[in-house]
Amino acid sequence: MKKENIKPPAFAEKFFEWYCRNAAIEDLHGDIDELFYANLERMSVAKAKFKYCQQVLSLVVSYAVKKRKKKSSYHPYTLNQSVMIGNYFKVASRNILKHKMYSFINAFGLSIGIAFCMLIYLFIRDEKSFDQFHSNKNQIYRMEAKRNSKNPPTRDAALQLGLRNVLKEELPEVKYATRFNSGRAVTLHYRDKIFSEKIAYVDADFFKMFSFKLLAGNAEKIFQNKNEVAVTPEIAEKYFGKEDAMGKTISIDNGGEKLFTVAAIIEAPPANSSLDFQILVPTESMRGYERQVEDWSSFGTNCFVQLLDRADSARFHTNLVKFGQKYMGNIELVFTPLTDVHLMKSIGWHKVSDPQYAYILGGIAVLILAIACINYISLALTTSASRRKEVGVRKVTGAGRLQLIYQFGIESLLLACISMFIGIMLVILFLPSFNQFTGKEIAIDWKDWAELLTIGLALTFIVGFLAGSYPSIFLSRFQPASVLKGHFTSQLQANFTKPLVVLQFFLSASLIICSVIMYRQMKFVATKDLGYNKDQTLVIQTQTGWRDKQANKIVERFKTRAQGESGIVSVAGTGSSFAQGVGRFWYKINEEEKAAYVYAVDPSYLSTLGIHLVQGRNFDANVFSDSSAVIVNEALVKDLNWADPLNEHLNWREDTVGLGSKVIGVVKDYHFLSLEENIEPMFLTMDQFFGYHTKMLVRVEAGNVPASLEKVQRLWKELFPDKSFNYSFLDQDVAKQYESYERWMSITGLATGFAILISCMGLFGLAGINAVNRTKEIGIRKVLGAEVASIFILLNKQYVWLSLIAFVLAVPLSWYLMNRWLASFKFSIAISWELFALSTLAGLVIALATVSYHAFKTAAVNPAETLKYE
Amino acid sequence: MKGYIGEFEELVLLTIASLGEEAYGVAIKESIETRSDRSISIGALHSTITRLEEKRLITSWLGDPTQERGGRRKRFFEITHQGKISLHHVKDLRDELWKLSRTTLSLAK
Repeated sequence: MKKENIKPPAFAEKFFEWYCRNAAIEDLHGDIDELFYANLERMSVAKAKFKYCQQVLSLVVSYAVKKRKKKSSYHPYTLNQSVMIGNYFKVASRNILKHKMYSFINAFGLSIGIAFCMLIYLFIRDEKSFDQFHSNKNQIYRMEAKRNSKNPPTRDAALQLGLRNVLKEELPEVKYATRFNSGRAVTLHYRDKIFSEKIAYVDADFFKMFSFKLLAGNAEKIFQNKNEVAVTPEIAEKYFGKEDAMGKTISIDNGGEKLFTVAAIIEAPPANSSLDFQILVPTESMRGYERQVEDWSSFGTNCFVQLLDRADSARFHTNLVKFGQKYMGNIELVFTPLTDVHLMKSIGWHKVSDPQYAYILGGIAVLILAIACINYISLALTTSASRRKEVGVRKVTGAGRLQLIYQFGIESLLLACISMFIGIMLVILFLPSFNQFTGKEIAIDWKDWAELLTIGLALTFIVGFLAGSYPSIFLSRFQPASVLKGHFTSQLQANFTKPLVVLQFFLSASLIICSVIMYRQMKFVATKDLGYNKDQTLVIQTQTGWRDKQANKIVERFKTRAQGESGIVSVAGTGSSFAQGVGRFWYKINEEEKAAYVYAVDPSYLSTLGIHLVQGRNFDANVFSDSSAVIVNEALVKDLNWADPLNEHLNWREDTVGLGSKVIGVVKDYHFLSLEENIEPMFLTMDQFFGYHTKMLVRVEAGNVPASLEKVQRLWKELFPDKSFNYSFLDQDVAKQYESYERWMSITGLATGFAILISCMGLFGLAGINAVNRTKEIGIRKVLGAEVASIFILLNKQYVWLSLIAFVLAVPLSWYLMNRWLASFKFSIAISWELFALSTLAGLVIALATVSYHAFKTAAVNPAETLKYE
Repeated sequence: MKGYIGEFEELVLLTIASLGEEAYGVAIKESIETRSDRSISIGALHSTITRLEEKRLITSWLGDPTQERGGRRKRFFEITHQGKISLHHVKDLRDELWKLSRTTLSLAK
């Protein structure tokens, strides 16, 4: 074996080098190598190798290596960055100041992205915080009825009035239970103060279950007397001013005046509470309570239960099934934890929200941030040409690759930091409008700032890392020799930025298409012929209970008084107005369960709303039998398969002796529900079983609505001086149904605006760089006779192509998204190719307008200017 | 005790002096080992050399790379004036003590 070929043990050498890292140990290494080769002559290979290892060890523990390592850590051009960090910041800030426009584009985009992310974070946090403040939140459940007979099974929180009492009596797991019947408008009267307010009927347990603080009063004793009322401080001040509200007597008119004593002042529920109330009265004080509590066929009361602390919810569930069979028939009783109530979109509630929207908002925020990051990357890559020399010089003077990566990383981090501060300021600035958009009441407490800053810093690092990593790796890769020799080609960077531009435009294009489609749908909803005339119609609350005969008299008196008054076209009474709640009635015909919407109306209803009769006749106040007759819509005729509806009877009473109500007319289908719903079976009736006219519709003349409104108000005050004048416009009520869609449309619109703005700024920067790079080429082309137009095309061609590709990619995505969005409407526009074409065209025009500035500028320059230095 | 040096330090200094232009790690080690018939570890030797350099008793410079030892450069050492003074201090002290000895230190019988 030739001894010359034997090398020292590799692992020992590696270990030695690793241990000493970048300390100067060349001489020491040489020494032990020399000793090794000398030893080979003297002893066996194994022994020499062993000795080598020994020597490495002795050096590793020696003072010599210790000292050299220590010395190396002070060396500036090494891995230890502490000395250089100050310099990095200096260089970074100089670079940011030097390229003012690019820095502005980057900081602008990033700060909007960061601000969006923070706002969305606040939004999601608020959504998640709903009902979390109750100390018993884990034991409280909302009861719900599940109708399995329907396909698909429906589930809602409206239950029978009597359910709460039997639940509490018969189920051992239930500790407390309360009804929650809210939203009914009543008239409150205290001395000279008369206002219409919404009250909520609850039970005494309410105060023990929920953590709303009592500012005055005793939670243990309250509501033992059924003429007690609990109010929020706001209401107390409204009626009693500075006086102490406790113990005062106030009259509440809910179909008959009754006196109530204020027994508690309760803290107003916070914005993130699913239960919303101002005035609480005992359920037992409800008019006709004793009769209604026995009625197991009408559903309209919400019910919450609190289980015993140790109760097993699975056991509760099995007990409920048995219980349900006894009281509910084929309806299954189910329950939802209180903390889940807010995000349960499928079950109607007055403050419910769709968790999907949080995801959509989050997605939009990430999109905008991504677009801004892409701006940073592509601008950094395209401006890299000017920094090649810098990299070369740094490397020649001893900078390592890692060190350059640090330097560029710190540069992007610094920019991200600046953006974060701008972003936080934007958050403060835009929070009020954001609240308006989303219908929230988010406020930033001082204690939230720590959290927000943490989020901000985390975002900054993510952004700094995402945006900075690729450019810094790319820039640090340059070979100093080739860079400094100067024959570096500048063709490289375009290939890197093209896919980024496409991605950016793809995101913007998807947003553009989505907003165009949303806008079209909302316009369709606003202008669609609903089958009745919703314009210039006032909806006035008669402020009576629906079981109160007074109601119809109020309408009649007003109708008589208004006759012949100019400006008032017609007056009608109805039990419920569109978008102000509906009445649905279940009945059986031939053992088949049927449902229909019911409107208690009077003879002038059809003419006031301009509803068309297709068969038969209108109600006639002079025909006595009309009081039990019905007018149905076409959907009901179809539902019951009637061939000749005018000879049919609608047996909603399930009368076994008689035939039921006579059908005297059929109206053309009209959208009494929102456009999210189909036109369901419905009938109109004057039968007092369905209640009295709690609303009055007044159609006024189109010409001068404010004057007519004033006249109506005057007449009202004249006839009913002790009733407040509560009105709304029917068209506004109807529009309100689409409020959440409108909101989401404007949020998407806003996001689209920002996305387009940010990506256009990026494109603007890129086009500028591209134009500058080609100044000489264009000069030569012009000298050789190129037209301005052809140069313009030359410079813009690639961007048009890129944005076209992006749009082609965006079409399927937005088509899919919008199909899902439109699916929530039963009546929607068709997604057609023109919409895509329109959006594409709009996008192209925007892109072209952005890049044209540079193209024109470059194309217009006199070639003598650009070429004179050659 | 400024200026005084230990026994091993003295040995290394004198060896460096004896090697003249050729005083580098391996040479010093081999020289001490053959002359004093003891085995010293390379780590201990370099520790001492580093301390001597810290005390500015020696200086060093890197030589040119050679084909041996994997092309790695040698570090050569040279005694400074300060080093020479230190050696003199030790030697003077010894000479004085030799002279003052009341027992005859002569090995002749």
